[in-house]
Amino acid sequence: MRPRALLAMVLCLCLGGGTAPVGAEILRPWSGSPKPSFALKELNGGARGLDQHRGQVVLVHFFATWCEPCIPEMTSLRAMMEKQADNRVAVLAIDVAEVEDRVRRFFERLPVNFPILLDGDRAVTKAWQVHGLPTTYILDGTLTPRFVVEGAVDWTKVEVMRLIDGLTSRTDIQLENSMFHKGG
Amino acid sequence: MTIHRREFLMGTAAFAAVASAPGQALAQAGASPFRPKPEGWRRFDIVTRLEVKPQGETRAWIPLPSVHEAEWSRPMGNLWTTNATRAAIHRDPKSNAEFLRVEWAASEAAPVVEVQSRFASRDRAIDLSKPGQARPLSAGARKYYTSATALLPTDGIVKETAEKITAGATTDMQKAQRLYDWVVENTARNGQTRGCGVGDIASMLKSGNLTGKCADLNALYVGLARASGLPARDVYGLRVAPSKFGYKSLGTGSDTITRAQHCRAEVHLAGFGWVPVDPADVRKVVLEEPPGNLALNNDMVVSARKGLFGSWEGNWLAYNDGHDIVLPGAKGPTLDFLMYPQAETVAGRLDCLDPDNFRYTIKVTELAT
Repeated sequence: MRPRALLAMVLCLCLGGGTAPVGAEILRPWSGSPKPSFALKELNGGARGLDQHRGQVVLVHFFATWCEPCIPEMTSLRAMMEKQADNRVAVLAIDVAEVEDRVRRFFERLPVNFPILLDGDRAVTKAWQVHGLPTTYILDGTLTPRFVVEGAVDWTKVEVMRLIDGLTSRTDIQLENSMFHKGG
Repeated sequence: MTIHRREFLMGTAAFAAVASAPGQALAQAGASPFRPKPEGWRRFDIVTRLEVKPQGETRAWIPLPSVHEAEWSRPMGNLWTTNATRAAIHRDPKSNAEFLRVEWAASEAAPVVEVQSRFASRDRAIDLSKPGQARPLSAGARKYYTSATALLPTDGIVKETAEKITAGATTDMQKAQRLYDWVVENTARNGQTRGCGVGDIASMLKSGNLTGKCADLNALYVGLARASGLPARDVYGLRVAPSKFGYKSLGTGSDTITRAQHCRAEVHLAGFGWVPVDPADVRKVVLEEPPGNLALNNDMVVSARKGLFGSWEGNWLAYNDGHDIVLPGAKGPTLDFLMYPQAETVAGRLDCLDPDNFRYTIKVTELAT
């Protein structure tokens, strides 16, 4: 998209206050370079690394509790994960630069079914060049970014679920090929 | 609260003048035109008291008045009492923001510190009709006040938006005024925002959610100004007294000001110097002045909007204008800004926006002149 067109769209959103989650139309295919792996402290203890999720489609979701559009999106991520019958999709929700106590209280009121990671010093946020919240990257089973979205998405919409299903199928094929080449 | 006879008479005279003017809404609301004038200094003591729940070694950092401006802000010293093993004033090397650093041993059963800060302040008003003799900024200061910070990027969507707003403006004054009008007309105060907000302006612009409080809306002004090449700064502080112009939303309601944090903004214009602005307070008037949700053409809003480009009322303490502050001895991350007391225990950094659990109180007393 040309910068001028993008700006016009953004200003339109500003004036219209368009903050409600939207569907797959704002998911952009990713054409940039790979993103670095990370390991972050997990809310409520322990640490979790991206590499642990190799073989799954991973939504790396950057958010903050003060971010209003992030709240309904969090609910839709939870609903989307409830519909996942197997373990082929993972959500890693990364809270950006907030005190742990504040994040904990937030999720006491809004429990979710995926891990919350804490990027207190924005190190991962910067490394992934995230410039606004919410931002979500969708990674395939090789942890290669396939889509990115800056803004809130309704992850329960049919077309969004279909897109993710497509990636899980591709991940299955990739894994099968990988097993075949290794002599299985 | 001491009411000085001279100020009382001035207020009465101002009220009498507006009562016969077209702005009937102002008079009906018991307000007068919002026109701060630098006429008299006021002195205040604020007392910040922290009582941290003991959880191992405990550290705290308490902001202190550290904006020294001969025309409107004079810090007058700090006193403290504490059972800590260490307490000393520190200064952020980049911004000169001062704070009291306090450390308690793990054996301390009831960590407590009480800080008394005295300062003087007065109204500001810049004559915007013609440039004066204000000193220009040094090259270093200009660079500092046009630089990006962690939450104030000056490229990408911030720059694109700023260019759109200021297109065709031929002077810095025009740019500053356009940015002010744009923030006033396109943002909204959100009463649900915690504290004063965060000020992640790129996220605001990208999401289209231009709501928040002072740390959001005035940060948006500062970021857009910096992206336009205008030196600008957020000034983080605390409301300490009611507004003498009768605006309930622009002052305190009691001597307990624990939740009265407020940041303002300034833009530097050649010949005029630092010009005070506060578009966030215009949106506060819109939302909060009775009966609430006022229109932009309401007399109270019009008066505040005119006054808050070029003037501030001195019922406010300026702590500092720092961004990205590293707290010495902290285990937690860099602060985006220092407007609230901060503390850490072995459980991590406490939530400064939750003073009841943290816990801290701030009280103010106005001193007789």
